[in-house]
Amino acid sequence: MQSWRRRKSLWLALSASWLLLVLLGGFSLLRLALPPRPQPGASQGWPRWLDAELLQSFSQPRELPEDTASPPQAPHGGSCNWEACFDTSKCRGDGLKVFVYPAVGPISETHRRILASIEGSRFHTFSPAGACLLLLLSLDAQTGECSSMPLQWNRGRNHLVLRLYPAACPRTFQLGQAMVAEASPTVDSFRPGFDVALPFLPEAHPLRGGAPGQLRQHSPQPGVALLALEEERGGWRTADTGSSACPWDGRCEQDPGPGQTQHQETLPNATFCLISGHRPEAASRFLQALQVLAALQEMSPARVLALRQQTQFLWDAYFSSVEKVIHTTLEVIQDRIFGTSAHPSLLWNSPPGALLALSTFSTSPQDFPFYHLQQGSRPEGRFSALIWVAPPGQPPLKLIQAVAGSQHCAQILVLWSNERPLPSRWPETAVPLTVIDGHRKVSDRFYPYSTIRTDAILSLDARSSLSTSEVDFAFLVWQSFPERMVGFLTLSHFWDEAHGGWGYTAERTNEFSMVLTTAAFYHRYYHTLFTHSLPKALRTLADEAPTCVDVLMNFIVAAVTKLPPIKVPYGKQRQEAAPLAPGGPGPRSKPQAPAPDCINQLAAAFGHMPLLSSCLRLDPVLFKDPVSVQRKKYRSLEKP
Amino acid sequence: MSCASVPGGGLRHPLRCRKPWDEECEEEAVCVIMCASVKYNIRGPALIPRMKTKHRIYYITLFSIVLLGLIATGMFQFWPHSIESSNDWNVEKRSVRDVPVVRLPADSPIPERGDLSCRMHTCFDVYRCGFNPKNKIKVYIYALKKYVDDFGVSVSNTISREYNELLMAISDSDYYTDDINRACLFVPSIDVLNQNTLRIKETAQALAQLSRWDRGSNHLLFNMLPGGPPDYNTALDVPRDRALLAGGGFSTWTYRQGYDVSIPVYSPLSAEVDLPEKGPGPRQYFLLSSQVGLHPEYREDLEALQVKHGESVLVLDKCTNLSEGVLSVRKRCHKHQVFDYPQVLQEATFCVVLRGARLGQAVLSDVLQAGCVPVVIADSYILPFSEVLDWKRASVVVPEEKMSDVYSILQSIPQRQIEEMQRQARWFWEAYFQSIKAIALATLQIINDRIYPYAAISYEEWNDPPVVKWGSVSNPLFLPLIPPQSQGFTAIVLTYDRVESLFRVITEVSKVPSLSKLLVVWNNQNKNPPEDSLWPKIRVPLKVVRTAENKLSNRFFPYDEIETEAVLAIDDDIIMLTSDELQFGYEVWREFPDRLVGYPGRLHLWDHEMNKWKYESEWTNEVSMVLTGAAFYHKYFNYLYTYKMPGDIKNWVDAHMNCEDIAMNFLVANVTGKAVIKVTPRKKFKCPECTAIDGLSLDQTHMVERSECINKFASVFGTMPLKVVEHRADPVLYKDDFPEKLKSFPNIGSL
Repeated sequence: MQSWRRRKSLWLALSASWLLLVLLGGFSLLRLALPPRPQPGASQGWPRWLDAELLQSFSQPRELPEDTASPPQAPHGGSCNWEACFDTSKCRGDGLKVFVYPAVGPISETHRRILASIEGSRFHTFSPAGACLLLLLSLDAQTGECSSMPLQWNRGRNHLVLRLYPAACPRTFQLGQAMVAEASPTVDSFRPGFDVALPFLPEAHPLRGGAPGQLRQHSPQPGVALLALEEERGGWRTADTGSSACPWDGRCEQDPGPGQTQHQETLPNATFCLISGHRPEAASRFLQALQVLAALQEMSPARVLALRQQTQFLWDAYFSSVEKVIHTTLEVIQDRIFGTSAHPSLLWNSPPGALLALSTFSTSPQDFPFYHLQQGSRPEGRFSALIWVAPPGQPPLKLIQAVAGSQHCAQILVLWSNERPLPSRWPETAVPLTVIDGHRKVSDRFYPYSTIRTDAILSLDARSSLSTSEVDFAFLVWQSFPERMVGFLTLSHFWDEAHGGWGYTAERTNEFSMVLTTAAFYHRYYHTLFTHSLPKALRTLADEAPTCVDVLMNFIVAAVTKLPPIKVPYGKQRQEAAPLAPGGPGPRSKPQAPAPDCINQLAAAFGHMPLLSSCLRLDPVLFKDPVSVQRKKYRSLEKP
Repeated sequence: MSCASVPGGGLRHPLRCRKPWDEECEEEAVCVIMCASVKYNIRGPALIPRMKTKHRIYYITLFSIVLLGLIATGMFQFWPHSIESSNDWNVEKRSVRDVPVVRLPADSPIPERGDLSCRMHTCFDVYRCGFNPKNKIKVYIYALKKYVDDFGVSVSNTISREYNELLMAISDSDYYTDDINRACLFVPSIDVLNQNTLRIKETAQALAQLSRWDRGSNHLLFNMLPGGPPDYNTALDVPRDRALLAGGGFSTWTYRQGYDVSIPVYSPLSAEVDLPEKGPGPRQYFLLSSQVGLHPEYREDLEALQVKHGESVLVLDKCTNLSEGVLSVRKRCHKHQVFDYPQVLQEATFCVVLRGARLGQAVLSDVLQAGCVPVVIADSYILPFSEVLDWKRASVVVPEEKMSDVYSILQSIPQRQIEEMQRQARWFWEAYFQSIKAIALATLQIINDRIYPYAAISYEEWNDPPVVKWGSVSNPLFLPLIPPQSQGFTAIVLTYDRVESLFRVITEVSKVPSLSKLLVVWNNQNKNPPEDSLWPKIRVPLKVVRTAENKLSNRFFPYDEIETEAVLAIDDDIIMLTSDELQFGYEVWREFPDRLVGYPGRLHLWDHEMNKWKYESEWTNEVSMVLTGAAFYHKYFNYLYTYKMPGDIKNWVDAHMNCEDIAMNFLVANVTGKAVIKVTPRKKFKCPECTAIDGLSLDQTHMVERSECINKFASVFGTMPLKVVEHRADPVLYKDDFPEKLKSFPNIGSL
């Protein structure tokens, strides 16, 4: 009985297993028997041809020689391009020289500003014969007068017609081969690579300087509206991040309603502004704006941050004054003339911009002080000392020894700017010493001598006194900040209420905005800027008032970097005994603030006050710390 | 247990013993299963011996058959079905000769000629592409057909090898869709790469009968050899209405800026010849010309250059007396000297690319491959992909009328620029010229960038060679901007339960003039923060944020409550910093808003014995990190730390309850390429690294852990981003002989 029951259970188990086997196996067999149809959703792709190997190439080698059959012929078309319509042979030698046709009759304020900005530029020439670009300010709508064809017109060859107001005058003559620079050109008439598109210049646009960008904060604040839409009559509507329910291809039927939008008269505090090329018809435009909004919300914060900063850079570098707009136009044309030695794209598109990074200095970004990070390069590990010997002038033997003692010193240049004859003997130094005979002008100190072989210059006055360790430490600091000036003694500027102007002082204060160039490290590029970019009038100003040259150099560097200089520690005792202030040979000449007018003249010439104040000094890490002197690398800096 | 060794600071609360416990549980579970099986084993054999021998054999055989069957079925079920899953089943394998034939009646419609005024916003329907989260256009490819005229004569070769490759590349890419209704760009399979091989009118008719032709809008044609004798138009002569043309050899007159795409003329040598990249350094020839089909006028000009400049200029021509069997395409000759082509291109610094009857020349590709800088002499030629590629960095364009001056123009280029151009030329070839696939994908990417401009690839991504991309840094805070002092800073105090110390920190920090808000991050889930009335009364808003989990990364979360750019991270036990020191730290941050500005400094060193990085907290002359127990930094770095930290660093920090400050130092240095700024002299920080317990051994464990962090992070970042400097920031008049009461920050370094 028990065995039967056991057998029964065994049979049961067996049959259950069979059933399972049949079921599972059946499915598998079924699957083998019926090959699967490609599922409708699955991607088919381009077929792999069995005979793909046999396909012929699109071009048979035999075909190529037929090219010879036809004579080379420049393709012809209706309009101009750069090669066909601009004669660069006139620009050889001096590069771009611009002649401006004098204005006829009364001119508008904008017109006057444009003329002034061209005449103040390094491109300007008074002779039409020597010019390679002839500039015609055209068709001034304000006066209602239309200019007639100028004398040297020559079918417009090498001419630039600057149009401030679109087609205000009927065309009195054919433009021919002339380039046109105007605001909002139409896509049909604009010739890329030949014409120049300008921003619209308002009446009140300042001649030079110009207001800086209004961005005070890198990143958008939480709660600020995302998008503002330009409306008719110059108003703005804003939308915040919540109101983006519209899908891209759907139609937004609902009116956004007053709750989600605000109407503003002034420029709104929004992250994006939607500017319509056509006349905005408020309602439908707004719906489109919402679609844009959806796309904008996809954008990563990193990209928004980058875009915000780039707007500010572009505004400040190329748009904020009439002078910048005009100089940018000329720089664009000069780049076309230069060809291979034009500005690389990086120089146009990152601070400080192409107007301040001269392509005549170099076309390799790593030669400039600004682009080391983007290039993955590092500033050079050595410097050149440039010692200026002004009258009465003794050979600065001690100074030469101290500087030559630095392991980073590559060469010493002595600029002999003195009535006395050159000394025949100079001290033996480990590094090469070169003597340059100067012309006794202060501006000589900042000439880009070809003998300077390093990026870093240590500018010195023969009466300066520095120790080797001071030089070493300051140079290391400069390597961290190659675009700034690193100096030992400082000046600070201030607004003088009493005189209603700027003033500056050498007195010790809690802040400073300039370093003295009689002992400072800076990049050799600033010599090029000083000599080739600065208006000649300012260099003359420096020659006439030598104390002004420090201020001028600091102005240049601050205008380029938009950063204050850096101060490093300087031996206190000597500081009291022999001030580094230029032109003060006396042992205790009160740090003077002579020619207070200098700073005001410069501020006027720059169009704004570029100087910025700093409240810090960079010291060695263990400077005056309560720790054994043996541990300190720059212990001599602490000696009383 | 390892939990005991976690330093017992307020933040690093023990919460780590989870893992060992889990392991134990697993072991137990395994044991249960094993015991169970043992039980059955005991029962099983006892059952069978009691049966009769005959039956037993019968049963055993039956049983094993069933068992074997079951095993076999099971295996079949779970075996990877190699035949079914391979691609060959989905992708048809057919012959090109078997494609369907389409007869084109002689009077079937012909599209309009190309519309020269077409722009993306007039002739292209972007709404077809829709708004999609991936920002990728969808491309459809028409099926291959063979077109014949009324007499059965074929209109063109069905398809060339290159066009087949091109369509295959599109089909394999992310752009492809086989759903014609979802597509926004249509690519006909009618091969128009070479105009010479097709009948123009009939090809146009074939285009017009495509199912979605609609005047050609949103259709893309690829053509590399346009025009034909005698005048060689610079764009495909096939009437194509609004279709986009990706053409090789456009001139400024035929190219519709922002609509057409200028592409290279593919050189078959790219695939045939392997030319390894040649490093910088002098090359034998300064200028070389290798084209064979040059017009006599050009050849005369070039030979004049050779006469004038001697050995440094080499003008090659085709060989006239080659023996049978030698491939003439791969040889060039100068007088009786025979050179291998394209190898000879690697011997020259500059290589001339002159136009023939056509503007686009395949030799451009060979020249780039050889890393020779192309000197393009072809007026009005639109260089390939010039919409995105910066050809100034890789080539020299010389007007035809300046040909005689070429040598002096090239000589004026500095050596450094030449080397960059050579590198750039090679990179352009590798990325955009070397295969039909590269050409096809670059074309689609350009169109994609136009349709989704906000997601477009940047100039740098298109143009910077990998070596520059790796070495360079694009600082996210690149605009030189000194934030206004009035903005102030937000202090963030991370705390667990040290309320007394926390209140002291709050009181001290609230004395700093530029503080604008105080945020307490309450990291203890088991305990409520003290009642409102118990908190110190301070002059700025104080906000308490409660966290969901006790994680160190909570300190670096970009809370909406942070309304200032500047953030001061401060531990709940840092009570030794004076108000002057904190205010000065904020002023320093304003001058360096893209850096970490902190108080205690630390250094990383390379341990030559152990061959790895070491953490150093001694009194050194150098500094490469600051502790975030007291540091100012930009709020943006909180966003980066929370969402963009590379690898598993964030989880690693949270799991180890340590090194969040080192991670932040790595992150900021990596993204800005800049060093930290340590402010003010060193002072005795009580437990600066949160090892509250005295004792050397714990201190050493701590140092070992921190060193481990540096090594771990360096391996995740793939580099050591930290920068070492020898300076710190002090007030201008610090320790100067100057009346203390006149100093802005007199109270520095005291305590």
